[in-house]
Amino acid sequence: MTSGANTLVLPIVLPLLGAFLLPLVARFGDGLARALGIVLVVVNIFLGWTLWSAVGTEAAVTALGGFEAPLGIVLYGDRLAALFVAVLAVGALIFWPRAEHGGVKAYTLTLLLVAGGSGLVLSGDLFNIFVFYEIVAVASYGLAASSGDKAGFGAALRYLVLGALGSSLVLIGIGLVYAAAGTLNLADIARLAPEKLSGTTGLAAFLLLVLGFGVKAELFPVNTWVPEVYAAAPMRVTAILAGVVSKLAMVVILRLLVLVFHDPAAISLLMAVAIVTIVAGEFAAYRASDLNRTFAYSSIAQLGLVALALTIPATAGILAAIAVALHHAVVKPAFFVIAAKWRGPLAGLAGGARVAPAAAGLFVLLALSIIGIPPLPGFWAKLVLLGGAFDAGGAYAFAAAVVLAATVVEAAYLFRVVARIWQPAAGAKPAHFAFSDLSPALLLGVILIVATLFVAPIGTALSGAAASAADAGSYVARVLPGRM
Amino acid sequence: MHGYGRTTASLLFLAGLVVMLYALFQALPFGAAPMQVGQEIVSRAPGETGAANIVTAILLGYRGFDTLGEVTILFVAATAAGLILSGAGAGDLPKAPGGFILKAAADLLFPFLVVLGAYIILHGHLTPGGGFQGGAIMAAAFFIPLLASPTSPLNHSTAALVEGFAGTAFIVIGLASLMWGEAFLTPFLGKGTLGDLFSAGSLPLLYLAIGLKVGSELAGLMARIVEVGGKS
Repeated sequence: MTSGANTLVLPIVLPLLGAFLLPLVARFGDGLARALGIVLVVVNIFLGWTLWSAVGTEAAVTALGGFEAPLGIVLYGDRLAALFVAVLAVGALIFWPRAEHGGVKAYTLTLLLVAGGSGLVLSGDLFNIFVFYEIVAVASYGLAASSGDKAGFGAALRYLVLGALGSSLVLIGIGLVYAAAGTLNLADIARLAPEKLSGTTGLAAFLLLVLGFGVKAELFPVNTWVPEVYAAAPMRVTAILAGVVSKLAMVVILRLLVLVFHDPAAISLLMAVAIVTIVAGEFAAYRASDLNRTFAYSSIAQLGLVALALTIPATAGILAAIAVALHHAVVKPAFFVIAAKWRGPLAGLAGGARVAPAAAGLFVLLALSIIGIPPLPGFWAKLVLLGGAFDAGGAYAFAAAVVLAATVVEAAYLFRVVARIWQPAAGAKPAHFAFSDLSPALLLGVILIVATLFVAPIGTALSGAAASAADAGSYVARVLPGRM
Repeated sequence: MHGYGRTTASLLFLAGLVVMLYALFQALPFGAAPMQVGQEIVSRAPGETGAANIVTAILLGYRGFDTLGEVTILFVAATAAGLILSGAGAGDLPKAPGGFILKAAADLLFPFLVVLGAYIILHGHLTPGGGFQGGAIMAAAFFIPLLASPTSPLNHSTAALVEGFAGTAFIVIGLASLMWGEAFLTPFLGKGTLGDLFSAGSLPLLYLAIGLKVGSELAGLMARIVEVGGKS
């Protein structure tokens, strides 16, 4: 174990340290607490970037406490983990909570979300992942309620009930895996899975884990909290939850699929869940009455796409999943920034283009990208997904057809909004955007355009990350060098 | 009708879950679980960590990082609850005192509870107990006087100070190992003699941090609930 790998723990414990200190620092002024929080988030971006450039194809592994692999807890830092550590921190930086929504307590919860989320993608131990999942979950409940009004409390409470159910299912799933395999280390479970987890027990454990992590990953049927929470929570919280946190749960499902569950029945099950999630999400978005709910349902559909991508075998599927997830992480928060100002029924958006041309233009750009119009990044993400699905053939061809049909529905409801924005105002005009209201969305729009220009190198980099994340053999060999 | 449908669906879900888990656990070997990791830890723990209480060796040694996470979950929950309750505003305290007997008993109990809590925290690596249990007892020591005489509220400022420093101490102890090139949370200070009060290296220090953190957090949270409850 090189001393360099020891720093793998820093993206988790530095924000955690900050969260413990923040209430004390706040005694010298809330501004200082805010500054400390933002500095730590920036440090996490740097740590994610450093890890990305340090690991290459060979992942960094550290055995915490010096207790070697199956006995102690390990952290596994590959490029996939590095990418999501950085993306989470960037999301938290852009959407750092406003002082009026919870103040220092909201800053603390955001730091805890960053710490827990980083742990979720770095940990190589199933129970440790559960612990971080709980940290992320409880921090999300608190932030969802931070709007301080009745709607927010109600939405957060129902979110908490469903989340608690999800956490219990995860725990039972972990219990089943432990009862069958006798170990919690992911690499050790991967080694034993063909023998111990290939039967009904393994399938049941997979179902419970997918349903449990699916609460955060917005999978059908445990995603009923999504529209209510995204409509009632402060916009900045919605942007982080929809944009990034949902993908962290997907990363965990990805690790489970790559390492532990190869059963064709498990794959079919996830594919069915994904297809229902896509169809339900897109049709609900079509029927939604306001922008916030439209985007909430559309977010569900996009995460269905990520789950579908994960079922496609080998590197192609993982690459598609990362591409769709990253694209959604850029586009959807920007949409929510616009929706935060343009509340109320869709009919009230008439005249939007005249009142706020920048917001309207940005809306069109985002809509085109999420539908998948070339040369925007959304097109490439969907292309990789459809290409992978058609190459795999069989049921995947059917799934690809569903994706194409869903895209038509997506285009229908997004262009309907675009048409509405360009109509002349009928009654009251939609809200005007101050520059500071729109700036996070504009920043994300710039990121989207830059990504369009550099789509080839980004594609190459993500392919490398996907290839090493898909390599279960090297995961086991890195974590358990003596047992191969 | 709608309500019945929901209840039926919930019951069906629960029944399905029970049947599935029953069938699954029937198939698993009861009492003969594959204890590969468990067995190995039981045989190696005393030698590797120097803690006579194997539960502690696992909690603070082999799975110390989980324990940091668990302390954090409590902290997240307390922060989230604080955020929600602060919206309700700390109102007037219930003015009715708890009566002479309760007040006298609370004053008498206080030193005993503090000593018991401290004992359980400091002996966590030797006997059953530890930071979480001792911390809960410490919290009770500060909460009972509050119930007896509601007019003298808990000093939240001090509680938050203790809590912040205890949490920081856990992470700083963990980070200290990084300085000499070891992994996070690697125990140091030597193992000592198995069964001695001063043994198991830095593990008792971690338990002390946990005890203080859990105690101050729990006391603060319960006091907050009493204060807000008194308002409505």
